[in-house]
Amino acid sequence: MAKRLLRIFGPLILAAILVFAVLAMPVKLGLSKVSANRERQAAVSLSPNVMKGKYIKEAALKGKYVPFFGSSEWSRFDPLHPSVLAQKYNRSYRPFLLGARGSQSLTQYFVMQNIQGELRNKKAVFVISPQWFVKDGTRKDAFGFYYSQLQTTEWLTHFRHDAIDQYAAKRLLQMPVANSDHFIYQALQRVAAGKSLTKYQRFYLETRKNMLTHEDQFFSGIDLPSQNLNRVNKQAEKLPTHYSYSALDELGGRIGKAETGNNPFRISDKFYNHGLKQELKKGKLKDFQKNLSYTESPEFADFQLCLDQFARLNTNVMFIIPPINAKWQKYTGLSASMLKQFDQKIHYQLQSQGFNNIVDLSDKGNVPYFMTDTIHLGWRGWLAVDKRVNPFLTEQQQQPTYSISDKFYSTKWQNLAPSQLKQYENDTK
Amino acid sequence: MLTFEPYGNPTYFALLGVALLPLMIGLLYGKRSRLYETLISIFFLVLTFGGSKWTQGVALIIYILYEVGLTWGYAVYRRHKNSGPFFYLMVILAIAPLTIVKVTPAVENGQSSLIGFLGISYLTFRAVQTIMETRDGTLKNYNLMTFLQFMLFFPTISSGPIDRYRRFEKDYRSVPSREQYLGMLQKGIRYIFVGFLYKFVLAYYFGTMLMPKLQLMAMHSRGGFLDLSWPVVGYMYAYSADLFFDFAGYSLFAVGTSYIMGIATPMNFNQPWRSPNIKDFWNRWHITLSFWFRDFIYMRLVFWFMKHKIFKKPTTTANVTYIINMLVMGFWHGVTWYYIAYGLFHGVALMVNDMWLRYKKKHRKSIPHNGFTQVFAIFLTANLVCFSFLIFSGLLNKLWFN
Repeated sequence: MAKRLLRIFGPLILAAILVFAVLAMPVKLGLSKVSANRERQAAVSLSPNVMKGKYIKEAALKGKYVPFFGSSEWSRFDPLHPSVLAQKYNRSYRPFLLGARGSQSLTQYFVMQNIQGELRNKKAVFVISPQWFVKDGTRKDAFGFYYSQLQTTEWLTHFRHDAIDQYAAKRLLQMPVANSDHFIYQALQRVAAGKSLTKYQRFYLETRKNMLTHEDQFFSGIDLPSQNLNRVNKQAEKLPTHYSYSALDELGGRIGKAETGNNPFRISDKFYNHGLKQELKKGKLKDFQKNLSYTESPEFADFQLCLDQFARLNTNVMFIIPPINAKWQKYTGLSASMLKQFDQKIHYQLQSQGFNNIVDLSDKGNVPYFMTDTIHLGWRGWLAVDKRVNPFLTEQQQQPTYSISDKFYSTKWQNLAPSQLKQYENDTK
Repeated sequence: MLTFEPYGNPTYFALLGVALLPLMIGLLYGKRSRLYETLISIFFLVLTFGGSKWTQGVALIIYILYEVGLTWGYAVYRRHKNSGPFFYLMVILAIAPLTIVKVTPAVENGQSSLIGFLGISYLTFRAVQTIMETRDGTLKNYNLMTFLQFMLFFPTISSGPIDRYRRFEKDYRSVPSREQYLGMLQKGIRYIFVGFLYKFVLAYYFGTMLMPKLQLMAMHSRGGFLDLSWPVVGYMYAYSADLFFDFAGYSLFAVGTSYIMGIATPMNFNQPWRSPNIKDFWNRWHITLSFWFRDFIYMRLVFWFMKHKIFKKPTTTANVTYIINMLVMGFWHGVTWYYIAYGLFHGVALMVNDMWLRYKKKHRKSIPHNGFTQVFAIFLTANLVCFSFLIFSGLLNKLWFN
């Protein structure tokens, strides 16, 4: 019987041991380097797998790639998109686009966790979407979509015991996806309660991290979507050989005009036809954003996590605040004064802590062909971004000095009406 | 609280391995502990229907009590009486919860019913079959505890295979000899590993990596004749492959686990893609379901039609029954036009298939039968099936009405 049992279970046990050994190995595998082409593909793929992983991101950011944090705007690949311009004019940097529809500050904070070495003392670009700052902050399902156990375990193996990490842990615990691994969930509970992890938890997290790191190395490069890279290559062909701001601005206007004929909002025809037209016909969209506010939101504290992380790593960041298509804003009843107030609040959070590289485009919603649709930059808008981003990334910059304040995690700050900013500043001095 | 899709992730399999170990040792030494089997069954049921899915758990408990009441009550009744209308009433009552669950999304805008839970269909099949065999008199010694074990046998609870009460009972009441059990173990482990290949490698590739892309391409290529395009064709094959590997993989897990528990649950798939005709296909695809439909719908309808002399020709009887049988199967998948069209398609295909076989029999001399026609028949059948799965997938619904 023993012999027969060995024949049945032997291969099974052997396979289990081998798989576990390879995955849990504490040493890094010297796998083949990430090829230049794969880096190019990954940098514009906007694939959640790339964002959730580490291997490809890390390899690319060690080279000439610079992280561009943001969300859905990155998928608007027109000829003046930052990735297209950087490639066409052979800039010394290439954007590594991090973020897609639904990714917000909290996701980006965890994305930063496993590229810390590549952020330290370096530069980054960060697009702040006002739309993130709604009453409930990031959507739980969207956060779940970009959630990465690899990033969480990595964070849990290097977190510091302070208010920031406690806040991050508490925030993560509010997300249903945190429950996807029971042991990680328990570890998060301890962090949130300000306790240190048990020996067993540390061992588990270390092993799990190794496994996930190896999985990422083995699998994250498989089947990278290539259609965005093709799009970038195609768009680059439309650009003139030599860079000239005025010529490109004029080109942006021309392409914008050609692609936005069929609606009164100067929204690209494609986007307009794709759903918007039907909704408008029903008349549901008139004034539908009337009561929307971007001034009170947990997102302000989530965003503080990102600022904190940048400050800790001494990263020099350029922040971009995009406008909202003014015609659209008027039609949907979105309050202009509320937007101005949001702008004030976010400026205060940035500048009072030493983040002074801000490209504030919030007043450009009326510039023709600045926006490709309702809320996303396009054509001339992208060029305006490039005008500031290019010198920022290619020229020597003064190292900023940050002075971080924990007050931005408070619920008081999250829900502070911008009209009380002055008062708040005096109270918290 | 931990909660799992059955056979969904490595942790589930690890827990399964640990839970089955004492049982394996017991069976190797000729012992079957009912108590232990019940305990791990409850453990895995809690894992499947507990935690955030607790409402499903409650629905399952109420449903089981209801079906136990019906089957037990009918078994007691049947010992003394045998009224037709009462039997029909019992069958209707047994099917009622499933009917409500299937109809609710169609009338409530896609909302699922509160009384539903994962696997309600498969439990209903088992209960109905128990009632029918009680009526037939083939099932004489209904035992309440065995029936509970049969219904709640955790390896097969969520999606079959659909075992039969009497077959299950025979295995459950006996202990295989050591030699027999070693053979079962060997098979069980092999099934589970083939299942890994099917479900986690092949179905993942076709279903998770390929299908969404093809669907997106298909949606972008709309505008041609009936909105059809090459990506739709690609989707058809990818979907068929995904459907097969996903379900066959799951079935292998369920059968493999049953074997390790010393229960020879019947197989669900037998190389369906090599069927030379559609009838043979249904003898090889989702076998326990199609045999259930054959034994409890098709055959019974045929007998009923013949007994009441509804149709003159036996072929008409067969044809009508094919259509009804497959339509019921279509409705069972859900009350949407494409499931029903899928059922109708297969009903007609079975009819045409029979006609062709009769024609071929008559003209045996003039119709060639060789290797080439054999390959052609297999090719034709496989493609016909893939086309029916395209209907089944609901992609056409998205192409045309979204």
